Amino acid sequence: MREKEELVMVTPGEVLGKASELKAGRGAYVATHNNTVYASLTGRRSLNPPPSDSPDKVPPPSDSPDKRPTVEVTGHKAHGAVPVPGSIVIARVAKVMARMASADIMCVGSKSVREKFSGIIRHQDIRATEIDKVDMHSSFRPGDIVRASILSLGDARAYYLSTAKNELGVVSAESTAGATMVPISWTEMQCPLTGQIEQRKVAKV
Amino acid sequence: MEFVSPEGLRLDGRRPMEMRQIRAEIGAVSRADGSAVFEMGNTKVIAAVYGPREVQNRSQQINDQALVRCEYSMANFSTGDRMRKPKGDRRSTEISLVIRQTMEACILTHLMPRSQIDIFVQVLQADGGTRSACINAATLALADAGIPMCDLVTSCSAGYLNSTALLDLNYVEDSAGGPDVTVGILPKSEKVTLLQMDAKLPMDTFENVMQLAIEGCKAVATYIREVLLENTKQLEYRRGV
Repeated sequence: MREKEELVMVTPGEVLGKASELKAGRGAYVATHNNTVYASLTGRRSLNPPPSDSPDKVPPPSDSPDKRPTVEVTGHKAHGAVPVPGSIVIARVAKVMARMASADIMCVGSKSVREKFSGIIRHQDIRATEIDKVDMHSSFRPGDIVRASILSLGDARAYYLSTAKNELGVVSAESTAGATMVPISWTEMQCPLTGQIEQRKVAKV
Repeated sequence: MEFVSPEGLRLDGRRPMEMRQIRAEIGAVSRADGSAVFEMGNTKVIAAVYGPREVQNRSQQINDQALVRCEYSMANFSTGDRMRKPKGDRRSTEISLVIRQTMEACILTHLMPRSQIDIFVQVLQADGGTRSACINAATLALADAGIPMCDLVTSCSAGYLNSTALLDLNYVEDSAGGPDVTVGILPKSEKVTLLQMDAKLPMDTFENVMQLAIEGCKAVATYIREVLLENTKQLEYRRGV
């Protein structure tokens, strides 16, 4: 909620206010030596008053940190999306191995990423039920487009993904004949050209 | 040779405290995340910034901040005679290091851990003050790329010839053999991030020359801020905001 839309444009290094009155949000930083908030990006300055979630009976003390509004600078260049634990991503399966499948994350939420991120779906994260009886090759094949959620930042090489929900799993896949398959149930997809049924962990749309 | 005439005019008609005409353009390289062309008189420099992006060489990855890399090169056609080896020679390596350290001082690297920011600067036309023009171009390119900085870095050079302090030396004045002081500052806090001089100067003269260069830096900073604000307004009009 914005109380007033500021039409002030700032460049890096410009003073936005004192740290005792403002909190530094995105695009701003606090210089510790003189407790001033400066801008770090070029763009429009906007003030966001803090959300009031406490009951209005007792006004908070004047130097409580929650009372300060946050000042932000929105730049014009949008950075590519970065996966965050808990977000839903669209990934393409690259390799299917005995205990995991590796996938390249292409979209985070509704935004596509600038450069691909690597993700791994471990065999215990494919389904919610009967996770010890999972067969990797009847869940995913290389080239499938899956909707997954980010479990965690993972290790140095890849994010950890999970498809263990009804609405997560294979969204689109190509059959061996080359046609886009139609989902039949949560474990099967059928090729429209040949009628062949293939096994996948299908997402419930 | 006389570099300052008795009337007080330099070889190109400027006064001793006058800078050359500066011109900047943002967004020249569309593929880069941020780019800028910066001209100081006849010196023309183009800078392109890529980043923050994933570190290409895993062994150089820093876990709590961004890695800043810089490469300075001169085009073969930038000087009078065609250059044989535009990059990799000692001068280019030194200037690359200098620009990297200067820019690293102002980028808030702790906000982008495990990533890499590449700054490529190329001199298209060299007429003295290439180091300063490169730093100014790199600042504009970084601001265009939206990389958070604590302040803009601007740079200017000054010298001392015929007992006069001269601002913004061109190639002829630079190769005269007199001292050449290059200063890079953060204009809002007036903190110095770069200070280089070749040759010797007595201390009080040095203070005058350095103060002159700092004034030049502040003038460049005012111009750079105008260019950035104008560019942002243009982008907003185009987006229909």
